[in-house]
Amino acid sequence: MVKSVIDPVTRIEGHLRVECEVENGVITDAWVSGTLFRGMETIMQGRDPSDAYFISQRICGVCPISHGHASSMSAESALGVDFPGGARLVRNLIEAAEFLHSHILWFYTLAALDYVNPAKALEADIAATYDLAQAAGTSTANFAAVQSRIKTLVEGGDLSIFTNGYLDHPGYPEDMPAELHLIAVAHYLEALEVQAEAAQIIALMGGKFPHFMTSIPGGTAWVPTVEKLDDVLFRFKRVHDWIYSTMIPDTLAIAPFYKDALTYGGGHGNFLAWGVFDSASRELPDRYLPSGAVFTSKGLSVEEADEGKILEYVDHTWLNGDGKALHPSEGKTVPPQAFTGYDPKTEYSWAKAPRYDGAAMEVGPLARMVVAYLKGVAPVKTLIDTALEALGAAGKPEVLVSLLGRIAARNLEAAVIADWSLEWVTELIETIKSGEKLEFHKPLKEKNGKGAGLWEAPRGALGHWMNVSGGKIANYQVCTPSTWDLSPRDADGIRGPMEEALIGVPVIDPERPIEAGRIARSFDP
Amino acid sequence: MPFVLYHWINALAMLFLTLSGLYIHYPVFPGFMGTARGVHFFWMFTLIINLIVRIVLAFFVKSAVMPSTREQDIDYKNWLPQEANRHQFIAWIKYYTFFKKEHPISAKYAGPQKMSYLITVPLTFFAAYTGFALWGPTSDWAFFAAGTRFFADLFGAGIGGGNLMGIRIVHYWTMWAILLFTAVHAYLANIYNFDPSRMIFLWKENDKGH
Amino acid sequence: MAQKDLGFYDQLEARGVTRRDFLKFCGTMTAILGLSEGMAPAIASAVEGAAGSSLFPAVWMDGGLCTGCTESVAQVTKPDIATILLDILSLNYMETISMSQGEHAEEALHETATHNEGKFVLVYEGSVMTGLDGNLLRVAEKTSLESLKEIGSKAAAIIAVGSCAVDGGWVRSVPSVKADGYPQEPEAWATGVSQYLASQNINTPVINLPCCPVNPEWVVAMIIDAVMLGGIDADGKVTAAFASKLDEEGRPKSIYGQTIHDNCPRRGHFENGEFVYKFGSPEEAAGYCLYPVGCKGPQTKTNCPVVRWNDKASWCVESGAPCIGCGNFNWVDENAPFLGRFRNIGLGMKKPVNPAAAATVVGGVAVAALAAHGFGMKAAGRIGAGAPMEKMKDWDRKHGASKKGGDK
Repeated sequence: MVKSVIDPVTRIEGHLRVECEVENGVITDAWVSGTLFRGMETIMQGRDPSDAYFISQRICGVCPISHGHASSMSAESALGVDFPGGARLVRNLIEAAEFLHSHILWFYTLAALDYVNPAKALEADIAATYDLAQAAGTSTANFAAVQSRIKTLVEGGDLSIFTNGYLDHPGYPEDMPAELHLIAVAHYLEALEVQAEAAQIIALMGGKFPHFMTSIPGGTAWVPTVEKLDDVLFRFKRVHDWIYSTMIPDTLAIAPFYKDALTYGGGHGNFLAWGVFDSASRELPDRYLPSGAVFTSKGLSVEEADEGKILEYVDHTWLNGDGKALHPSEGKTVPPQAFTGYDPKTEYSWAKAPRYDGAAMEVGPLARMVVAYLKGVAPVKTLIDTALEALGAAGKPEVLVSLLGRIAARNLEAAVIADWSLEWVTELIETIKSGEKLEFHKPLKEKNGKGAGLWEAPRGALGHWMNVSGGKIANYQVCTPSTWDLSPRDADGIRGPMEEALIGVPVIDPERPIEAGRIARSFDP
Repeated sequence: MPFVLYHWINALAMLFLTLSGLYIHYPVFPGFMGTARGVHFFWMFTLIINLIVRIVLAFFVKSAVMPSTREQDIDYKNWLPQEANRHQFIAWIKYYTFFKKEHPISAKYAGPQKMSYLITVPLTFFAAYTGFALWGPTSDWAFFAAGTRFFADLFGAGIGGGNLMGIRIVHYWTMWAILLFTAVHAYLANIYNFDPSRMIFLWKENDKGH
Repeated sequence: MAQKDLGFYDQLEARGVTRRDFLKFCGTMTAILGLSEGMAPAIASAVEGAAGSSLFPAVWMDGGLCTGCTESVAQVTKPDIATILLDILSLNYMETISMSQGEHAEEALHETATHNEGKFVLVYEGSVMTGLDGNLLRVAEKTSLESLKEIGSKAAAIIAVGSCAVDGGWVRSVPSVKADGYPQEPEAWATGVSQYLASQNINTPVINLPCCPVNPEWVVAMIIDAVMLGGIDADGKVTAAFASKLDEEGRPKSIYGQTIHDNCPRRGHFENGEFVYKFGSPEEAAGYCLYPVGCKGPQTKTNCPVVRWNDKASWCVESGAPCIGCGNFNWVDENAPFLGRFRNIGLGMKKPVNPAAAATVVGGVAVAALAAHGFGMKAAGRIGAGAPMEKMKDWDRKHGASKKGGDK
């Protein structure tokens, strides 16, 4: 048995440590530690309910839009305001841009280097690269320029962001052609521009990205016009086309070389989604991507999600908590008087361990896609069935509960949302052109109340709980996707979803556990 | 009667400064921001010039008869500690809080009275100072920026400096302090009878004397 | 760093950046750096020139962060972030982007610092987490404070990006709330790079770029100025000319010299008194001034209205939201409630108060007290005739008038 540690886990948002025990080349146990504590929930106390919208976005600079929306929804539900119809359409659009931005950034900027090796791209033959791109149906780029750029970098001796990367790691499949590496590296660079374009959509409607300004509690401060929406539509189209012409074909071209990743990395197989993109009814199960809970051990069926079933454990965290698990609506976040040290046997993380009906739930695109698939959401079903066929697993959705499934789900979700985004912009433009009067904001009136904003960040189910008393926030709790996925063990010793997903993963070199890094990053922590 | 004029200018300045200031703080109805800012400036300068003139006059005008003498004193001496007022401070406090029945013997101005009068001088200048610290064209002057920095630090502003919120609140509170003085001043001046008001409003002196 | 086979502009064109785009970018940089427009060609040739020499070593460390500043910097488009990462800087360590991981990433950090001691740039993002002796953030089995001390003392200069790195940002606001487990002194929980290093007697120059998040063009402008226009000389010393461009707080004067209000495109509406009182109203659609809904533009000094955000797509006020003053120091406590005109005071109390409300209460109490006093005067029979004048000063009576002269 050897220990294999990644500290810090790079190419993620925030700070994470992953510790594994490896026996005979396979991970047998794992501990995931959130190593940063800031105290966001406490800062909310005594402030105006609408301030939470601005402050809580700063939890995460990659998914501030989702936090902002969840926070506004918690204020609206606590203080009894239904945000008006115009605001619903605008919020859906901003959130869609956030999802597209995040998924592109995740696949290329954060995750790709685990599967694609820039050093191998140097060996590619340029003509063959164009041929391969055409055969794979993916877009071409100035491959010669990209190759020469990487070459100059490597020959210059300064590797910049590739310094100390595992450029000679045997974990990159032998049979993956150098040309495919070059295509992916070219798109890795291109993706930086496309993610920026997606972020510009948010800026057009929300002022800036990260940390947008307009989805304040009660609706939106952004009043759309046909001209402004033309700008938005133009950019959505470009992002949409790039996802279809580049991201999806790239995924399908690279996936066959990592087919073994369909056999591990699944974890508990419990999935939870609150749902995202409101329909006119505002009901969670009616959302475009609906809410639901799935326990694959009990079969492929979906049940309605109930936020009342959440309890958060702090037993293996450094937080204080009298050994009692609490529901977020009455949750507490109390740091200790003194730091007690990292010890996997006792306390080893700042992240709480939320459990749903006692189970550790995976949240994220895979959870949403599984729920939507089982609920028969048409575009999701079509796309996933096609993808399963391409992977040679037609009619076997259960293979999605794996590392490769998690990656595929994220990229397929991007495609579904890209389609919807075009529909929604067009719908909003038509509504405005028809002269129908849309309402965009209603002020908060009540001074007391309790509420929850249940929503999804690109990386998974997100909940904000707000108690307001006398017009000021009395208690505020956030349950982020990372708390779900990266949670440590609970009182019963049940591993968190990422910890469980690491079990059974083959590791070639425990000194350089690229495989554990793949699992960790597949959750987009 | 320069002092009646002086009071009138002060009263009008305070009225317009308060109204325009409150409007600038929160424009309750649209349409007047440019005007309000203009009015605020005009009356600020008027108030300051008026105050400076008053201070200068204090060195040239004789105003009050000293108790138990026939001498008239140069006005400014009424503002400084006077022998006639020694040991009277507590007595005055007691008098106003009904712990003492008789009206204490003092000079023209009682101890607490002259202190509060004196405070209005720096208070008025301070209001102008904080105002200039907030005003774009002068806010960068080291003299004013120092005040901004001081109050920013006082309000807990991280590495300090540049934050205007603290001094804005102080500027606002200064208005309240001046208004509070005015309220007490008007009250105490008129509590026995309305002679002072008659003088200010009707330009009439009580022929009975006082 | 040159692509030997292709010229600089060919490289740009290959990435969809036209020569015109690039020169426009150089023009923007002159504005941010406070240079005359005539300097644009000099910037252009400096960037071109850098594309022919070795890369400038740099590391990017993460403190208590949300990664928003990294995200923000990734949004820069002309030149795109890839140009900065591959052709200008050798960014050997950046947790969010680095190919390496774990101890190998850590090794890259320390080797860069050791091999280029005094000659590399450190970019710091996120709060300096001082709480629990630095254990609020541990990276590579050390507190982040240890790493900052070690790397920070070796750097030629530090760019603190974003409000968190500048003074602790929103994280320092946590102790302003009375709650279990938190200290009452903000600095005992989270602080900024310059304050922390000063407390450790490390005097590496720090360039502060507050804002939440940082505007990417500011970061690029600082990199160009410091790295390519000679702000850091060959010995790794920050030149006097460069230092003189910073204000007392280490902020570039050209970026933080004027209020948002001064440059706001809605300023005309302010002067005319055309205001938005309600979100989603016709006034909002007409683009009126956001002052009554709490805009902090008049007291926030950044050049946001000029530089704008996300490749100039928009900025906060243009989108219809009031400025929340995130470019200020201690920006959360300084500006919250964000939709109100005043900040709350007395944070640290369970319910902080609004200054206007506090003043109204004090004023109201005083007026009520005067009224009550008036009734007292009436009851004491002093109104009209006044109180009887004392015969003799109390002091004199008590201390004996026989004493020579007495107290007059």
